[in-house]
Amino acid sequence: MEFDLAYLMAQGPALMRGLWLTVQVSAISIVLSIVIGLMGAAARVLKLPVLDKLVIGYVEFIRNTPLLAQLFFIFYGLPTIGLKLSLFWSGVLSLTLWAGAYQVENIRGGLETVAKGLREAAFSLGLTPWRFFRLIAAPMAIRVGLPSMLNTSISLLKNSSYLQAIGLAELTYVAIDRISMDFRTIEMFAAICVIYLALVLVLSVFANRLENRLNKPFRV
Amino acid sequence: MTMTQFQTWTQFQSRMQSHSRRLPVLSTLAALAATVLSAGLASAQSLPPLPAAIKAAGLLKAGVRCDQPPYGYKDETGKFAGVETDMAIQIAAWAFGSPDKIELTCVTAENRIPQLSGKKVDLLIATLGVTPERARVIDFSKPYRWGGSDMLVAKDSPIKKLDDVAGKIVIMLKGSTQAKWFEDNMPKVDNLRLNTASDALQSLKQGRGDAYTHDAATLIVIAAKDPSLRLVGEPFAISDAAVGVRKNEAEWLAYVDAALDRMKAEGLYAKWVEKWIPADIRPFYTEAFEKPKPTAR
Repeated sequence: MEFDLAYLMAQGPALMRGLWLTVQVSAISIVLSIVIGLMGAAARVLKLPVLDKLVIGYVEFIRNTPLLAQLFFIFYGLPTIGLKLSLFWSGVLSLTLWAGAYQVENIRGGLETVAKGLREAAFSLGLTPWRFFRLIAAPMAIRVGLPSMLNTSISLLKNSSYLQAIGLAELTYVAIDRISMDFRTIEMFAAICVIYLALVLVLSVFANRLENRLNKPFRV
Repeated sequence: MTMTQFQTWTQFQSRMQSHSRRLPVLSTLAALAATVLSAGLASAQSLPPLPAAIKAAGLLKAGVRCDQPPYGYKDETGKFAGVETDMAIQIAAWAFGSPDKIELTCVTAENRIPQLSGKKVDLLIATLGVTPERARVIDFSKPYRWGGSDMLVAKDSPIKKLDDVAGKIVIMLKGSTQAKWFEDNMPKVDNLRLNTASDALQSLKQGRGDAYTHDAATLIVIAAKDPSLRLVGEPFAISDAAVGVRKNEAEWLAYVDAALDRMKAEGLYAKWVEKWIPADIRPFYTEAFEKPKPTAR
């Protein structure tokens, strides 16, 4: 079976709808996972009672179980205890929780590089722990942690393809659905690989710019 | 090769073979009793020669379903079971002289055609509906039964007929006949397309969709077991089920067609339906194998 470009063109609109859903789910999840990362890392570094233990448990749980199992747990498991989320928000929740755990560690890694003396200096100047975290530690930690945060975000974007398993019509779902109807395997998988590649490259460019901007004060 | 040519040819072959090939068959052991008996009953039903490539393999590599009772599934002990599984075993018995000369592979709706094209199996008896899309990629035998579609809904659902699903969410499997049918006939209906029948059933029971459409044959079994669900009962998308083989294997296709004819002539379908299907839901399946295809949307 040769490569059929006309077929691919005909599937363009369906692929674009899938792409749009992939972008939406991923963008929301990336933002939320970074919020979780910041809060979780703060809880760990500031050694907030109880909360820091909870964060440790959360990170270990997420990192040591498969994403697909977490996804099925949220989509099929939670409704049996009365929490039914829509397809879209089930997807967002599972990706957010998954990436959030990694972001906690990424940002915590950055926070570890903030010199102890800075914290002592801030506290002796009368800053509250929260203001120290917000104004001094977090910006420095993000600068250090950015490459690994980008890594996690890229993984999140790629892992959004798992959501086809619960029937969310994102990019991979569209491809698999069409293949099961039309058997045009090469065309569809080639197309979505190229689209994912382009998405990740765009994300990388964006992150590199951010990195440059955050590094401005440090340039010689 | 046209059908008429082929049938005369079969008869010619059968006359040739009745002397030369039956003796070694007779000499093999007890498992063959049924085969020998039936061969004796209907000498006109002897089969054309096995293609060299299949013969060389020494056994039949068949793809069957493992999640579609009563056609193809695995029983409580994990053994292959069902009417279509027995069809595959019967072909192996005729082709190689023993029902053990078979290698069964579980195939799914998504992977069955790739499994065949990739030569992992030599034929599919796997609830495979005849569609023009599929016919472009593989060849079909003559149909051995028909199968329609139906919908499963919650017991108290307002959906009483097919048209009632307008504006509702219908759950279906990716790549299923029903997915194609809804795309062509009711494109406005909202779809939730999942990968497995168990995912679909789970989603229906959790209210993620208003109806779950699949082969009627499958849904009848579920509805009979689950009092919280009922069938809508308006058949649609009726299609023939046939054996799938790779393209350009005319000799093998002819063999399979002849084997199907022989199963019909010897009344084996009725026997298998009785063996695998509980009496209360049996009439539906008997009709699918024995009666002509009804007309519906």
